[in-house]
Amino acid sequence: MERTLFFSGNEAIAHGAARAGAGFACGYPGTPSTEILETAARLEGIHAEWCINEKVALETAVGASLAGVRSIVTMKHVGLNVAADPFMTLSLTGVNAGLVVVSADDPGMHSSQNEQDNRNYARFAKVPMLEPSDSQEAYDFLAEAFALSEEFDTPVLLRTTTRVSHGRGRVVPRVPVQLEPREYVRDISKYVMVPQYARVRNRLVLERLQALRRRSEQSSLNVLEAGTADFGIIASGVAYAYAREAFPKAWSLKLGMSNPLPYAKIARLYEQVSRVAVVEELDPFIEEQVRALGLPVIGKEAIPADGELDQDAVVRALEPFVTRKAPRRRRPVFPLAPHITSPPEPPAGLPVRPPVLCPGCTHRSVYTAMRRHKLAPMGDIGCYTLGALPPLLALDSCLCMGSSIGMMAGFNKALGRKGAAAVIGDSTFFHSGITALIDAYYNEAPGLVMVLDNRTSAMTGHQGHPGTGVRADRSQGPSVDIQRLCEGIGVRCATVDANDYPALDAAIKAEVDAVGLGVIVALAPCVLTRRDKAGEIVVDEERCNLCGLCIDIGCPAIAPGETAVEITDACTGCALCVEVCRRGALVCADDGSGDGA
Amino acid sequence: MNATTTVSLVGVGGQGILLAAAILAETAAAEGLDVKASEVKGMAQRGGSVLSTVRFGDKVWSPVARYADVVVATEALEGRRALGMLAPRGTLVCAATTRIIPGSVLRHEDAYPDDLAAAAAARGVRLLAVDAEGLAREAGTLRAVNVALLGAASTVLPFSQESWLRGLAAAVPAKILEVNERAFALGRESVGEEDVQ
Repeated sequence: MERTLFFSGNEAIAHGAARAGAGFACGYPGTPSTEILETAARLEGIHAEWCINEKVALETAVGASLAGVRSIVTMKHVGLNVAADPFMTLSLTGVNAGLVVVSADDPGMHSSQNEQDNRNYARFAKVPMLEPSDSQEAYDFLAEAFALSEEFDTPVLLRTTTRVSHGRGRVVPRVPVQLEPREYVRDISKYVMVPQYARVRNRLVLERLQALRRRSEQSSLNVLEAGTADFGIIASGVAYAYAREAFPKAWSLKLGMSNPLPYAKIARLYEQVSRVAVVEELDPFIEEQVRALGLPVIGKEAIPADGELDQDAVVRALEPFVTRKAPRRRRPVFPLAPHITSPPEPPAGLPVRPPVLCPGCTHRSVYTAMRRHKLAPMGDIGCYTLGALPPLLALDSCLCMGSSIGMMAGFNKALGRKGAAAVIGDSTFFHSGITALIDAYYNEAPGLVMVLDNRTSAMTGHQGHPGTGVRADRSQGPSVDIQRLCEGIGVRCATVDANDYPALDAAIKAEVDAVGLGVIVALAPCVLTRRDKAGEIVVDEERCNLCGLCIDIGCPAIAPGETAVEITDACTGCALCVEVCRRGALVCADDGSGDGA
Repeated sequence: MNATTTVSLVGVGGQGILLAAAILAETAAAEGLDVKASEVKGMAQRGGSVLSTVRFGDKVWSPVARYADVVVATEALEGRRALGMLAPRGTLVCAATTRIIPGSVLRHEDAYPDDLAAAAAARGVRLLAVDAEGLAREAGTLRAVNVALLGAASTVLPFSQESWLRGLAAAVPAKILEVNERAFALGRESVGEEDVQ
């Protein structure tokens, strides 16, 4: 006889994740989601950790997914608001190993400040959504969710409500899923979401949504169940259980995969019955999409749009409508596949001008030094994101503001060693990097965090931030010292002059070799805020052999000439090229007075 | 011309495209016309291409247009690139001697195009090739390339000299107004009678 277990939905999700081969689980506690991670923490083979908030949790799970480990991240419905920034762009980058985001919603607000319907997030982010209706499905759907995630290269939203998460039921365990290893492969066009790459990914997302809809049509999670009455019900999650009990003779379309909706399956239900109701808690999420097909449906005019349902509420709500004369049946009008625009092509053969790091930019020295070490640099949002592009190719990812440290932590935890580093600017560090650093310290994630402190929010036009104390009216307020902040947390931190390349290189080497978590603040004011020229660089044409080492730092002021490199007027005299030249062919003239003579 | 005229200004970040657009918008306003303008400048300081569009007429609805009647280009490659956005029989006013070499050309991965006149002719647009750098240097500062070009462009735009001067005064900071007025005048004089039909 089959062994059966009796699990809450949350326990079933944790066991289902472990059975599906998930190796990494994280989240932030919140009713009704909490027990998923508490259960996972007791299971073999899956590492579980509480994170400082839902945003950092998702970013950490993304890092683990990139490292090749199936990951699950859990939160309550309002927690997804906190994680919405990485969530929305994760839809574009997709995943490496499967990644499942669990949102546990709270209709009726048993313990929440609102009852937002997070099914809307699935449509918003254009990601597939699964909704289990009991513990067995909660267990089984995890394997489906991870498989979908990897097949369609997308995060999957698994949405529960209080009655699924906290309801208990019989669960038949299944054979563990066998997985092939998924190596991390560097791919900046997939993971660095600067506009030029994000535009391409966005079109792939629209195409992916069409492919997912075809899957939704075929999926065994979406079942048309025959009845004997001339009445049909469309429902997902626990509302399906209420509806089945309320109207046992009705036909029903049971949606386990409720985004994107299977239009043709919905149409097939309408071929069987003359009246259809959508039974759903909270928003008319399914109902409005059915109406958009041009089909008559009984929805929120009968079913309450707030609070929880139960079978009695469903009977009371629908009975008057069921006994009414059926409306005239209509044929569905399927929406056409959306038109996907192609970008205007530049005239063939004309060189483009991708934005680049400025001549003399101090980020360049950091990247040049970091390149010498085999760490996957998780990037962040600011001028320094430009270092991801050729020829520097200095960053592996850029997801959203403040994401670098969490992604590094997840990556390194999943690998069990320092495989990734984080690169974050000063303003972005204050925006949302601090919480992630505290989390990495608390969860003992190893890694190197480079804070590129150029004393301003440079990319947006040199605004002040708490690290500079400069306020919107340019008045000087109190400022926060990044090194003291890090040390206050308990994180090892050193501040290095970003213009002093040998010192910077030595500090990075020391930190790469050190155990655990460390921060290096690479400090130097943005070159655009400096009017003076640091000095003159002179080329010794006898010594230059055009080896390309200085070209590779990606400075717009260095050009290969016929027999030697040339330094253009754009040069600020930062002398990084002098540092990387191995032949002494680039020389600093004595002063910045002009010709160096 | 349509009731609404579209002028696009293109160049490389740091060339004063936004200032030139502001002067043009103020000039149109000084003529008593409705004006709308838009720009893409997020990456402007990082060496990227910059595009600003100014539209004017009795009543302007949209701030953008697919095609421009006049394009003012402060750099030769950007002028070449902008041919595709010129309306038939439009005019390209281009700083033909100003070359800001993109990184891919510096690295010998691309070639800088040399076919501006031929491409303009093939597309059937009028080209006013201006030595804006020379004019700006003569006026007193290389930074006035943008305004020297506006001076050249003023010969094909329906505004009075007085409106242009009011536009310059409204948009240009006082301490660099004089040198810009000189650059504007030199640009305007540089276009021969035979060029303007």
